Amino acid sequence: MDLNKKYNEELVKAMNWLGEQKNTLFLGQAVRYAGTGMFNSLIDIPDEKKLEFPVAENFQMGYSLGLSLNGIFPVSIYPRWNFLLCAADQLVNHVDKITNMSSGSYVPNMIIRVAVGTEIPVDPQDQHKGNFSEAFRSMFKTVNVVELTHHDLVLDSYMQAYESSGVTILVEFPDYGK
Amino acid sequence: MISVEDLQAFEKDIGDCFNRAEIRAPIHLYDDNEEQIRKIFECVNKENDWVCATWRNHYQCLLKGVPMERLKSEILRGKSMVMNLPEYKIVCSSIVGGIPSIATGIAAANKMQGKKDWVWCWLGDMSAETGAFAEAYKYAVAQDLPITFVIEDNELSVETPTSVVWGNRQKWYLNRATLDTNGFWTAPNLIYYRYKNTKYPHAGAGVRVQF
Repeated sequence: MDLNKKYNEELVKAMNWLGEQKNTLFLGQAVRYAGTGMFNSLIDIPDEKKLEFPVAENFQMGYSLGLSLNGIFPVSIYPRWNFLLCAADQLVNHVDKITNMSSGSYVPNMIIRVAVGTEIPVDPQDQHKGNFSEAFRSMFKTVNVVELTHHDLVLDSYMQAYESSGVTILVEFPDYGK
Repeated sequence: MISVEDLQAFEKDIGDCFNRAEIRAPIHLYDDNEEQIRKIFECVNKENDWVCATWRNHYQCLLKGVPMERLKSEILRGKSMVMNLPEYKIVCSSIVGGIPSIATGIAAANKMQGKKDWVWCWLGDMSAETGAFAEAYKYAVAQDLPITFVIEDNELSVETPTSVVWGNRQKWYLNRATLDTNGFWTAPNLIYYRYKNTKYPHAGAGVRVQF
């Protein structure tokens, strides 16, 4: 079995399942326009469920938090962990802390989708292939980080992230099985 | 609407509590902007609209309808800087430039869901110079989102003079602004006014408190 193909098929299944949920909105760069590997997992999602966003990572994270406080379930997409670093303020100071700041009154529900950059067949060098999962776990009080290290984890993890209360970062590995 | 005198008396009471070491968290008190902020709240739908603000937020909370006793209780348990009250649709951040993007997302959700509620987002003059605000403002105007950013300019960020450190030039967000009959500078999705708080320091109430 081509494990990489299987991994990508599971991602498509997960995105399609999320797309069927009534209040979800996929936002980020390359959700409606091609350009990153993640685009291919969203091709079955109707355009009205996808918001192509400017490259403004911290703004995107705060905007996603605002959506989640007001009835939308964002699936906020960052093609690389290195890009998600640019959203660290909103992620660590706001998304992760608002539940504690509000004494549990505000509980944002959100999925943050991110990938560790692929090295095969071309190596993008240090600014595109970081995995900062462990470092961010150490900074979080409420946000969960789930690394999708096996294709069997993909669909269940996304479903669980949607159905459970709170914010989950799901980390994908596009080189899986290569 | 709560009076100027009641707003000032509330801040004085909180300041006195702080000076008596009854609040184990920073407080940021308003003074001398009561007329302007009350005028803005004449346009706020207290029940349905959202109010987003910074670490200095007592007046917004009171004018939005949070009872004085409730607000004081939250402040006494250290929540002054992070007043987040969903039942009053109030969201606050104590990070400079932290609130505009969240407010913009709330406004976008209103528009996506066909809600008529408005978002009012307060920020200070240094926050208004950040890239974080520029991105949110640019996007909100271009997408015609139901949000008004209210910039309160006391010319200071803590003790740092904002215009001096940014080079003493015309504020970029006022390039298209006009002066209205209430004395506010207004531009699309934006209201700006100046005030001078000479009564209270940036944080605290003037007494060095030892716990």
